[in-house]
Amino acid sequence: MTDVMTKDPLTSDASPPASAVDAKVSIKNLDFYYGESRALKDVNLKLEANRVTAFIGPSGCGKSTLLRVLNRMYDLYPGQRATGQVLLDGKNILDPGVDLNLLRARVGMVFQKPTPFPMTIYENIAFGVRLYEKISKSEMDGRVEAALKGAALWGEVKDKLDASGLSLSGGQQQRLCIARTVAIRPEVILFDEPCSALDPISTAKIEELIDELKSRYTIAIVTHNMQQAARVSDRTAFMYLGELIEFDDTPRMFTSPAQQRTQDYITGRFG
Amino acid sequence: MAVHTVKAYDAELEVIDRKIAEMGGIAEKMLADSMEALTRLDVELARRVVESDPRLDALQREIEEQAVLTIARRQPMAVDLRELVGAIHIAGDLERTGDLAKNIAKRTIKISADARVPRAIVGIKHMGELASMQMKDVLDAYSQRDVERARAVWGRDAEIDALEDSVFRDLLTFMMEDPRNITFCTHLLFCSKNLERVGDHATNIAETIQYMRTGETMPTERPKGAQ
Amino acid sequence: MNALYASRRRRDFSIRVLCYAATALGLIWLALILFSLFSNGFAGLSWAVFTQMTPPPGSTDGGLANAIFGSIAMTSLGVAIGAPLGMLAGVYLAEYGRYEKLSDVVRFINDILLSAPSIIIGLFVYMAVVKPTGGFSGYAGALALAVIVVPVVVRTTEDMLLLVPNTLREAASALGLPRSLVIKRIALRAARAGVITGVLLATARVAGETAPLLFTSLSNQFWSVNMGKAMANLPVTINAFVQSPYETWRQLAWTGALLITLAVLTLNIVARVLGAERKQK
Repeated sequence: MTDVMTKDPLTSDASPPASAVDAKVSIKNLDFYYGESRALKDVNLKLEANRVTAFIGPSGCGKSTLLRVLNRMYDLYPGQRATGQVLLDGKNILDPGVDLNLLRARVGMVFQKPTPFPMTIYENIAFGVRLYEKISKSEMDGRVEAALKGAALWGEVKDKLDASGLSLSGGQQQRLCIARTVAIRPEVILFDEPCSALDPISTAKIEELIDELKSRYTIAIVTHNMQQAARVSDRTAFMYLGELIEFDDTPRMFTSPAQQRTQDYITGRFG
Repeated sequence: MAVHTVKAYDAELEVIDRKIAEMGGIAEKMLADSMEALTRLDVELARRVVESDPRLDALQREIEEQAVLTIARRQPMAVDLRELVGAIHIAGDLERTGDLAKNIAKRTIKISADARVPRAIVGIKHMGELASMQMKDVLDAYSQRDVERARAVWGRDAEIDALEDSVFRDLLTFMMEDPRNITFCTHLLFCSKNLERVGDHATNIAETIQYMRTGETMPTERPKGAQ
Repeated sequence: MNALYASRRRRDFSIRVLCYAATALGLIWLALILFSLFSNGFAGLSWAVFTQMTPPPGSTDGGLANAIFGSIAMTSLGVAIGAPLGMLAGVYLAEYGRYEKLSDVVRFINDILLSAPSIIIGLFVYMAVVKPTGGFSGYAGALALAVIVVPVVVRTTEDMLLLVPNTLREAASALGLPRSLVIKRIALRAARAGVITGVLLATARVAGETAPLLFTSLSNQFWSVNMGKAMANLPVTINAFVQSPYETWRQLAWTGALLITLAVLTLNIVARVLGAERKQK
C-alpha cells in the first residue's frame, strides 16, 4: 500500500488537535459594521497560543476586518463598530473601558506595506520601547539588538543603525517592522498580508521568521496567497462574504476541506 | 464540479484522466489476453501480450511527468491535489498489473511445450476471471468517480485470496502425485500469485479512488482471506 | 496617411503652437519685469541703502535701513504668530477633526480667507486694532500679516499631513502610541519638510504685502525698533517713493523692490530644495 493510504497526513502533522491547546483569543458571536453595512456575520473562532492561524478568502470577505478587530484598529475611524465578544485571556477587549494603547501593546500588528517610521533604524525600535519602559542606554542597545536579531535583520543592519529606516529594502523594512513589534514584547502578533509587497526571497525570510516567532507568540495572519497559508499556519480559517465558512487544521483544509465553497476557493474554481 | 478559473488547468487534468483510461484499457486487455493464452497455451497471443507492455510503461511515465508538471505549475490544492497524487498511484498500479500479465504470458510461452495437467489450469482460469472483473469494476469506478463501487471492489478482494489458497492446495497435490509435474505446476503457482497481486492492485486503486473523492483513507486492514 | 489622421495631426500641431505661444507670452512679461527690476534696482544698490534711513522730503540721499528692519521684524512676528496657529489648525483638520463636519466648515472658511483680498485684511485689522488702540503700530502690521499667514499654513499643513499614508498612523497606533504622539512623532515628522515649505511660502507671500500694512503699521521715516509705534517697511515705502517727484526716492523704490524680490526668490528656492528632499525619501 502507498504512503498516502497508510499514513493519515492529517494526524501525522506535528501540531496536536485543536482542542488540546489553550485559546489565547476567543471570538464569540462577532459582528462588525462599516456604518450600516455588516462586514462580519456572527464569527466564532479561537486563536490558540503558540499557533499560527491563517485567514484566507477572496477580497472583501472580511478577513482583514477581523484582524483589525483584534487590536481594535478600527477605532481610529468613525462609523465602524463591533458587537459580540473578543476575549483576550478571558477579558473582552470590545468593552468600552479597555485602554486601547495598552491593548495594542499586547496585540502587535504588521501591515501589508512596510511602514518604517521616518527615523533611524535604531530609533524605529527604541521609540516604541520607550513608551512603556524607562531603561538605560545600554539596556536599550541590548533590546534593539535582540529585536533585530529576533527579526533576522541584525546581520544586515548592525553597522548602520543610524541610517534611516526608509533606506532599507522592502523586505528589510518589513523585518524592521516585525522587530519593532517584537521589541515591545506583545503576546499576539497580527500579520495583515505581510508579504504581498515582497519578492519571493524576502517572503521566504518572513515565513521563516513567523515559524520561529510562533514558539513565543500567538500569531494570526491574513494572506491572499493560499500556498503561504498552507506553509506557515497550523489552523486555517476560510471566510466568505463576512462569514466564517470553515475553520480547521491547515493540512486538512488544503487536502480535503469539508465545505464545497472552501474547496472551490482553494482549488481556483471560484465564481 | 465547477470548472477552474484557469481553463488550461482543467485541460491538463483531463489529459491525465484520458491517459489513465487508456492505461486501464491496455492493462485490462493484457490481463484477459494473458489468461486466454494460458488456458489455450497460445504462444502467439502470449507474445502479443509481452509486446504491448512497453506502451503501458510509456504511458505511466507520461502521466507521472504531466502530474509533476501540473503540481509545479498550478500548486493544486484539495481535490485537485488528491486527483493528481491519485493519478500517479493508479498509473503505478496499472503498470504493475501489466507487468504481472506480461509475466503470466512469459510463463505461458515457457510451459506451452510441456503442458502436463490441463485440469490444474481450471482453478487459475477462475482466478483470472475474478481478477479481470475486479480490475474492470475498479476502472469503471475510477472513470465515474464512484466511491461506492470502489468500496465494493475493495471488499471483494478476499474472494481472490481464498481462491488462491485453494489453487495452491491443488497444485501441491499435483506436484506430490508426480514429480514431473513440478516445473509446470511451479509456473502455475507463480501465475496464481500474479493474479492475486493483480487483485491487490485493484484494491489499491479502489482505495485511491476513495481518497481522491473524499480525502479519507480506508481502514488500514482490509478483509483478508485466510493465508 | 488617411484624411482623419492628417486632420488630427494638423489640429495637434496648431494647438501645440498655441500652447508654446501662450507660455512664451507669459515668460516674456516675467523676463521684462525682472530685467527692468534688476537693471534699475542694482543701479541704486549701495551700502547706504542698508545703513541710512529713508530720506525726508527734499533730501537727496538716504537708504532703506528702517524699512528693511521693519519689514523683517513685522514679517517675522507675523509668521511667528500665524504659523503655529495655522499648523495647529491644520493638524486639527487633518488629524483630530478629519471625519468631523466642523472640519468641512473650517476648511471652507479657510479657503475663503485664503483668497480674500489682502486690503480687506488690512481694513479689518485697522478697525479691530488700530482704531481701538489709537494708532498705527508694528504690532498691528504683524497681526495683519499673521492673518494672511494663517490660511496658507493651515492649507499646506493639512495637505502635507493628508499625504502621510494612513498606514503609517496605523502602524504607530498598532504599537500602542497615543494619538498625540502618533501626530507629533510620526505624522508631523513625516510631513515636516512639506510643512516647513508651507511656512516658507507663506513668509514669502507676506514679505511683499503692501495693502494690509498701509492701514496698520503705516510707515515711519525714522529708525524705530518700537513695534508699538508706526513702523517703516519696504512695501509701503516703495509704494510711497515710487510716486514721488524725487529721482533718489524713485531709485530707492526700485532697490527696495529688488530686495523684496531677492528675498522672496531665496525663500522660494529654499522651499523648493526642502520639497525636493522630501520627495527623494
